[in-house]
Amino acid sequence: MQALLEAIAAEAGSWIELRFHARKTKRISIRNGILEESSTARLTGVGVRALVDGVLGFAATTDLSERGIRRAVADAQAAARESAPMKKSRIPDFGPAAFARGSHPLLTADPLDDHPLEEKLEWVMRADETVRRGGASIVSSSVQYEEFQDEKIIVTSDGASAHLIDAKPEFRVVAVAQANGDQTMGLDSTSVTGGWRDLFRRAPDEMAERAVRLAVDQLSAPHPAGGRATVVLDPGLVGVLSHEAIGHTVEADIVLGGAVTARMIGKQVASELVTLCDSGQSEHRPHATGTIPFDDEGIAAGRTVIIDRGVLRSYLHNRETAAHFGVEPTGNARAFEYSDDPIIRMRNTYIEPGETPVEELIAGVRTGYYLCGLGFGGQADSNAEFMFGVREARRIEGGRLGGLVRGATISGNAFDVLKSVDAVGNDFEWDLGAGRCGKTQLAKVDAGGPHLRCTATIGGRQG
Amino acid sequence: MTHLLKRCERALDEARRAGAEAAEVFGQTIRSISVGVEKNDVQISRSQQETMIGIRAFVGPRVGFACTNDPDQLAAAGADAVTLAKASPPDEHNRLPDAAPFAPVEGTFDPAAEQFGVSDAVRRATEILSIAEGIDRRVILGEGQFVAEVGERIVVNTDGLSAGERASLFSYFVVATAQDGEAVSNMDFQFGASRSVAGIEIAPIVERACRNALGSLGATKGESFVGSVILSPHAVQSILVQLLLFQLNAKNVLRGMSRWRDAIGKTVAVPSLVVSDDGRRPGGVATSSFDREGTPHRPMTVIENGVLRGFLHNAYTSRAMGQPNTGHASGSARSLPTIGPTNFSIAPGERPLEEMIGEVDRGILVTRFSGTADPVSGDFSGVAKAAHRIVHGRIDRPVTETLIAGNSFEALRSLSAISAERESIFAFTLPYVRLDGISVTGGE
Repeated sequence: MQALLEAIAAEAGSWIELRFHARKTKRISIRNGILEESSTARLTGVGVRALVDGVLGFAATTDLSERGIRRAVADAQAAARESAPMKKSRIPDFGPAAFARGSHPLLTADPLDDHPLEEKLEWVMRADETVRRGGASIVSSSVQYEEFQDEKIIVTSDGASAHLIDAKPEFRVVAVAQANGDQTMGLDSTSVTGGWRDLFRRAPDEMAERAVRLAVDQLSAPHPAGGRATVVLDPGLVGVLSHEAIGHTVEADIVLGGAVTARMIGKQVASELVTLCDSGQSEHRPHATGTIPFDDEGIAAGRTVIIDRGVLRSYLHNRETAAHFGVEPTGNARAFEYSDDPIIRMRNTYIEPGETPVEELIAGVRTGYYLCGLGFGGQADSNAEFMFGVREARRIEGGRLGGLVRGATISGNAFDVLKSVDAVGNDFEWDLGAGRCGKTQLAKVDAGGPHLRCTATIGGRQG
Repeated sequence: MTHLLKRCERALDEARRAGAEAAEVFGQTIRSISVGVEKNDVQISRSQQETMIGIRAFVGPRVGFACTNDPDQLAAAGADAVTLAKASPPDEHNRLPDAAPFAPVEGTFDPAAEQFGVSDAVRRATEILSIAEGIDRRVILGEGQFVAEVGERIVVNTDGLSAGERASLFSYFVVATAQDGEAVSNMDFQFGASRSVAGIEIAPIVERACRNALGSLGATKGESFVGSVILSPHAVQSILVQLLLFQLNAKNVLRGMSRWRDAIGKTVAVPSLVVSDDGRRPGGVATSSFDREGTPHRPMTVIENGVLRGFLHNAYTSRAMGQPNTGHASGSARSLPTIGPTNFSIAPGERPLEEMIGEVDRGILVTRFSGTADPVSGDFSGVAKAAHRIVHGRIDRPVTETLIAGNSFEALRSLSAISAERESIFAFTLPYVRLDGISVTGGE
């Protein structure tokens, strides 16, 4: 297939990009003991982009014969050519880039296919049972497993030609508890790039127990007092902040659409303790979900420093926005399925670890909160204003960890929050839960960092 | 025999060979062209062609599902479906639907659609731009899209069912705002759709979106009161139809989540409310000869003069509840059948909108609702977008930052008027509806 795509690209006449994508998906979903879905999907196709007269066109086909692919090339070229007379803005020629070459296999000691479907189904059902046996107050449970196994070949007429084998499984447990007409939810989820054992750093049963405990314990927990507070964020919440509240505002297409970051390059946007990156590699810890050796434009997916010691240095680019800004593409163009055209997406977004031991971060707080992970609900805008539900929140009193509080939210302006950072932990974890991001298409991503201490607005119903 | 039928029958054989005692294959071929417009310019044009095969395998009362778009993977998909079925818990209602005679409907396919190419789609998309530009210079066209689809769908099963038909669909939407100096209007969006090339009408939806955007320019804060609220068809969709669809879905009834589980034959709404679903209506956007399981759609009046007459069923829920299968199995070849509406409508009332407004002493007209409407409890609360104040029977001025809250179950039982005018939002045809005694909170 790679040789065929290379031959077609060489003859195209104008710039083209050919992307072969074969995907196997398995999905198992249980709610309250009832199997809602157990299915597999095998999707194979070729997506083609063509650049004609400074205008891009896209076509996708499931006909993998040479004739079929050539027809898709002609369709993509026609789509570009036919739009050209009506199109006001033009794409300048794509500039130089770090093109991907060679073959990139997945490295795992425990491939997903070594575990039969029956085993996966059993694990899901058992986790669901664990939740439902979690006590009289448990009223609802849901467990989902999903895996994506991909083979991709990307060839462009200007120099990329690379092959990739990839696997990204995820697991998610939700428990709902109820007492006196009052409901609370507990959640645990995980996602990786890798195999079965890589995914279950915590066993499914343990994840189910954790979700139950969180739901049940919250029933008797008080709500937090709202207002500004000193908080210690765990790596999961640091990741959410980095991805949702900062990351989207530096995607170059969002920048061009009028994000708050449009005139902030070179400016101090965070504390000097903060260095924030987005990377196709999996720095500090292995198996981050958003790990890709190259993106769907065939560009090597390295590490992009977005904020360097507090100063905004770079946006996240595809080839089109890189040409517009006169920089090199950063390897952030991603397409979810063969029939999607690549758009700017994050990969693994994180804050670099610092030097303070985690215990010292907490010990330095007279009164405040320790906040862990993304809970339910939340939103972030292109002006960096955000509000997230917190999965698990505890009081800190006199430098010591105190009791659980329920229904906590964290909000503010993400850049203000990062400016308030006064200490960064020396630890590191990847933890963006199920590792999903939606932006017209789905993408598998990750985020994380060390613990860090900052100031933010805490919300929570009073009473 | 078409290409697609051959592939469906091969898939059925593969499922049998893998050990299925019964099986169903749903096959879909779609060729689509889509062109987007954004910020007053044409965006990337896409063309796509895909054939998808979905296999549902039964082993005793156990079911498994697999899909593929790759003809070389049909055997693997058949084996997956059987493996999943064997490992799944049994459920006595998991069976193929009872046989029903194939009853084709006309008008789902326009032969002219086959000749509709990329340049035609680009021309239609740019029409969205040029019409908007011609209306008023203050209009900003945020986003729009034109999509042309031509396809074929087939259901075959091991009980000997073989149903197939071709279809064409053109759909388009537009999002408009207006700006006048510092003043920025609310965003308005409108949809349109047609099964035939001749039926494509871009101008009315662009004009309506622009008119609504311009109409909400210069909005000022509204006041707080308890009074009448007139919902536009879009707001009716958000506040009333979402509730109706949830409550009427037999799967939700089975799960004990529908408040109407014991309400058949009982009054759930005012006598003037007539709600129907007709998957066989000639030219309808959701019209087809059969549902996702191959059963013909049964046109039905679900609420007749305020009385609940029935639920929307697929084969599973009809068996589990002992009620007739209404042919509302829905979904694509990529997943198991679910339940969904087809051409869904609320019957028009007898009085024009103007008369409905004329009777309101104090109220607001809500063009769009942005908020939450819980389909279980019926509680809704949110912001009335592009709203207009009504004073002494006349539209007074546009208002901003106005919150409305209430309960949709109560709204159905107390709504005081339904307009003679209706608008189509894809497959939904809905009138304006007036609710009284709604709490309205303004920013004044």
